[in-house]
Amino acid sequence: MTSAQIFGARAAPWLACLGLLVIWQIAALLLKNDSFPTALAAIRAIPLILGDKEALINILASQRRMTIGFAVAIVVSIPLGLMMGRSRAVASFFNPLLMVIYPVPKAALMPIIMLWLGVGDLSKTLVIFLGVSLPVIYHSFEGARSVEEKMLWSGAAMGLSAAERMVRIVLPAALPEILTGCRTGLVLALITMVTSEMIARQSGAGNILFNALDMGEYDLVFAMIIIIGAMGICLDAMFEALRRRLVKWSEPQFDMPLSFS
Amino acid sequence: MIEIDHVSQIFQTSARQDHLALSDISLTIEDGAFVSILGPSGCGKSTLLYIVGGFVRPTRGSVRMKGNAITGPGPDRGPVFQEFALFPWKTVLGNVMYGPRQQGVKSAEAEAQGRVLIEMVGLKGFEDFYPKELSGGMKQRVALARTLAYHPEVLLMDEPFGALDAHTRTRLQNDLLNIWERDRKTVLFVTHSVEEAVFLSDKVVMMTRSPGRIREIVDIDLPRPRHRAELLLDPRYQKYVVDIERMFDDGGGQGAAL
Repeated sequence: MTSAQIFGARAAPWLACLGLLVIWQIAALLLKNDSFPTALAAIRAIPLILGDKEALINILASQRRMTIGFAVAIVVSIPLGLMMGRSRAVASFFNPLLMVIYPVPKAALMPIIMLWLGVGDLSKTLVIFLGVSLPVIYHSFEGARSVEEKMLWSGAAMGLSAAERMVRIVLPAALPEILTGCRTGLVLALITMVTSEMIARQSGAGNILFNALDMGEYDLVFAMIIIIGAMGICLDAMFEALRRRLVKWSEPQFDMPLSFS
Repeated sequence: MIEIDHVSQIFQTSARQDHLALSDISLTIEDGAFVSILGPSGCGKSTLLYIVGGFVRPTRGSVRMKGNAITGPGPDRGPVFQEFALFPWKTVLGNVMYGPRQQGVKSAEAEAQGRVLIEMVGLKGFEDFYPKELSGGMKQRVALARTLAYHPEVLLMDEPFGALDAHTRTRLQNDLLNIWERDRKTVLFVTHSVEEAVFLSDKVVMMTRSPGRIREIVDIDLPRPRHRAELLLDPRYQKYVVDIERMFDDGGGQGAAL
């Protein structure tokens, strides 16, 4: 790629964002609707939220739940998915269970979970955990399943035990696929985080959003949407940078910008 | 010495029918011999190799190495597969060091030995490349070095040059022979190429298809070290090739489609 092309590729996502804001601004000015503030008004409201101590505490609480839910989900799901991918017995035990859970929107379980565990952190973190688990299990499963048999045989001939082959061959070989699942899981963590806070209105980023909506403070509503969106974009970009570093041995580079990293 | 004793292998097909892949194979492989198993595709020759490797358990019969029954894979038998089966997340050097590191060789020592092996297979300068950056022939060189690195007593080569173009293939055959001349490990080499089998081997085990049986064992009495250019002009080499091909043609359909 020439330097102009590299610059173009780097600038493209930012230009797309700018374009979106311009369209938003023009549309809002044309529609003149109270519930649809201009982009500038929404952006001006961002410091109001980020400058407010209580709002910041709420957002940080959201992020903490999300981090814990995501981390626990990954720690549980990767080993489970890998074992399902390498053992027919484990797969046939867990597959029916997961097939039942898979199509259920995890937020729909929220009322029951709230009933059992209350409206606090535990319920919300559990929903995030459930949301993240399935894509990570699925991709770990697919990744482990497609590991070349001969690669495992080569390891066995070198004296690796079955457990060692799992950790030192299946895990790294499946890593590109696992990380694809984690990336999907990360976005789902954000989605389930906000949804859970909309249902269990007690604290968090989702709660700020809906409180503002109730009060008719539409510029705050849109400012909060921008903040949540920016959180998602930043997390995804950070994760993508990490992913590329970890699996640089596997894929040829994409020439198209797939993220902001 | 490897003794294959009345080995039979039955697979279940997807239609849940029993398929006899190997039927009553008995074969003795002397230490230091280069033995090729030659047969048409689907004759079970790779399966036989996997059984010796301990990767597949025979339905009937047994394999012994130095008198001990083979129950699973082990570092005394090093496989080299047609599919290379390199660890793609490791560099060339990382792949070659993997076996010795597993066996507790110190990192610096494993690296030094690894570099020597990489040079021996002609890949000096590629130590830090990842497998995806290598051609098929180079990958197979790495796979050979990776297996030689942990000093197996027997090399189990499963159509190792089958996925390579003709030119790369002959170069690797030459290099394999040169490497083999140094320490004369026992080699069990699966191939469907008559020329390759005769060029490399002391002994060619001819197999027939469905079920896989040993049809004939041909001793290849050609001088070593062998040089391709001389050998191709040698009437004895030519006769071996023609005789073996003719035997397959006379196989009454079973082994004809080589």
